[in-house]
Amino acid sequence: MRIKRYLLTGVLAAGILTTLIIKDSKSKPPFEEEELKLMNEELINLVKKGDELWHSPKLGTNGLTCANCHPDAANSNPHTFPKYQSNIGKVATLREMINWCIQIPLKGKTLPEDSEEMKALEAYSIYMHRGFKLKPGDNEKAYPPVRVESGPGYP
Amino acid sequence: MKISRRNLIKLSATAGLTAFTATSISPLLGVVNVAQANPRKKTKITPFNFAVIGDAHLYEMPNHRFDKTLERAVNDVLKMKPKPDFVVFIGDLANFGKKEELLKGKRILDKLRKAGIPYKMIPGEHDWYLDLGKFWKKLFGSPYWSFDHKGVHFIGMNSILVEDYWTARDMTPWERMLAIAELECHICGLWGVGEKQLQWLKEDVKNLSPDTPIVIFTHSPLWNYYPRWNFQTKDADAIRDILSKFEKVIAIHGHVHQVVYNRTGNMVHIGNLATSWPWPYPPVELPYPKIVMHRADPGDIYDGVGFATTYIDDTFLGNMKYVEWADLIPKDLKNGIPL
Ligand code: HEC
Ligand SMILES: [Fe+2]
Ligand SMILES: [Fe+2]
Repeated sequence: MRIKRYLLTGVLAAGILTTLIIKDSKSKPPFEEEELKLMNEELINLVKKGDELWHSPKLGTNGLTCANCHPDAANSNPHTFPKYQSNIGKVATLREMINWCIQIPLKGKTLPEDSEEMKALEAYSIYMHRGFKLKPGDNEKAYPPVRVESGPGYP
Repeated sequence: MKISRRNLIKLSATAGLTAFTATSISPLLGVVNVAQANPRKKTKITPFNFAVIGDAHLYEMPNHRFDKTLERAVNDVLKMKPKPDFVVFIGDLANFGKKEELLKGKRILDKLRKAGIPYKMIPGEHDWYLDLGKFWKKLFGSPYWSFDHKGVHFIGMNSILVEDYWTARDMTPWERMLAIAELECHICGLWGVGEKQLQWLKEDVKNLSPDTPIVIFTHSPLWNYYPRWNFQTKDADAIRDILSKFEKVIAIHGHVHQVVYNRTGNMVHIGNLATSWPWPYPPVELPYPKIVMHRADPGDIYDGVGFATTYIDDTFLGNMKYVEWADLIPKDLKNGIPL
């Protein structure tokens, strides 16, 4: 698979409009620094979107947000999926559990599992547990997120 | 130490507690501590109990799940035998500091007063940052206070005062409130009681002798737990210093929505459960890793939440018992935690 060639328009912090052109490249290293930077920015944008949704009452109807109970995505335990979830009664993926929490604690409508919103929520949860060892099936423990000293918890 | 039922009754009698009856929420087992106390110590305390409720986080909408859990706590307190002498509400009555939320909370809490159980209030950040405490103070009076009760000196302080993060950012009151309503607010900064209350505290305890039993309530812990979530009080060191002359201080706090315990110098610290939702343990090592709660079932609005009853004996040994509505408290803590 080849990385798509973008002609990307981004806004720098200073507010200056810049145009970044990524050269044709294969989907394998070595990548140029510019490309790596851009790919990471794309990821962080998704995490940021997830952060916003995580803190938004719009996912539900009772005023609650995911962050009410999962500050910094704590105890969402993304690295323990898939695993049997007694609330659902079967082995569930992280996305299924996110939907369950939208439906029950937030009293909201589920998101399509392949939606941008779902991807964003998942990205935020996982990013806040970066570096954690995968432990599919772990139903014993709840895991705090990465330790954050300041800022939102991602670059 | 092993305590037999027989032993217990004997101890209760010695402590003059025969009037205590065992109900599911009775602080009877507080007498376990009497055995550890120095029996020769003279004290002026008449044993009594009080309850601590907090972190109700009421929303404006009617019949909200958090109305039900606060109401359940209040109803449980009304059923306590013997009746608690008073209740302290330890902050975060409202979720967004709205008048409707605070009024709803007052309506629910007033059931206590009507039943002859007075309650005292301290504010949490969720009560405060819409109008900077204006309406809260109108409803509940001063956010810091002290009183003496049956030989114990009780202190309540407003520990959630932050420096102005809104003016420079041109934020509306609602934006200010929304920002600090997030536990992980990263523009709000650390909070504390501030210089004025420190001076007040110094004055308040100036003439008390070191053997005076002290209980202090603050919304946030008086030790550095996890600053990221404001599980701290900026001037806790100064408060601990002012109170260091006392033989023993019991410090009870809210805000963390979880079972947590610590000791610093002459102080024991304990966190109260929320009636709204439980908060995860932060990514730091716990000072007392055995004193924790179980994970909660997210499908049960009565799991992960509750309140506490506290029993104070005649030698100023306290026992705080978490009142749970689901299987939340580990077996060996069910009878309470010695303070
Ligand atoms: C009222 C509280 C509450 C709210 C709001 C809430 N959750 Fe949960 N959620 C919990 C609790 C409690 C658990 C059980 C995990 C634990 O703490 O042990 C849980 C579990 C989860 C898990 C599974 C963790 C595991 O290991 O089983 C995920 C994923 C999750 N929540 C995501 C979300 C998302 C996404 C939202 C917002 C749409 C949300 N939650 C809103 C309380 C809540
Ligand atoms: Fe709270
Ligand atoms: Fe709080």
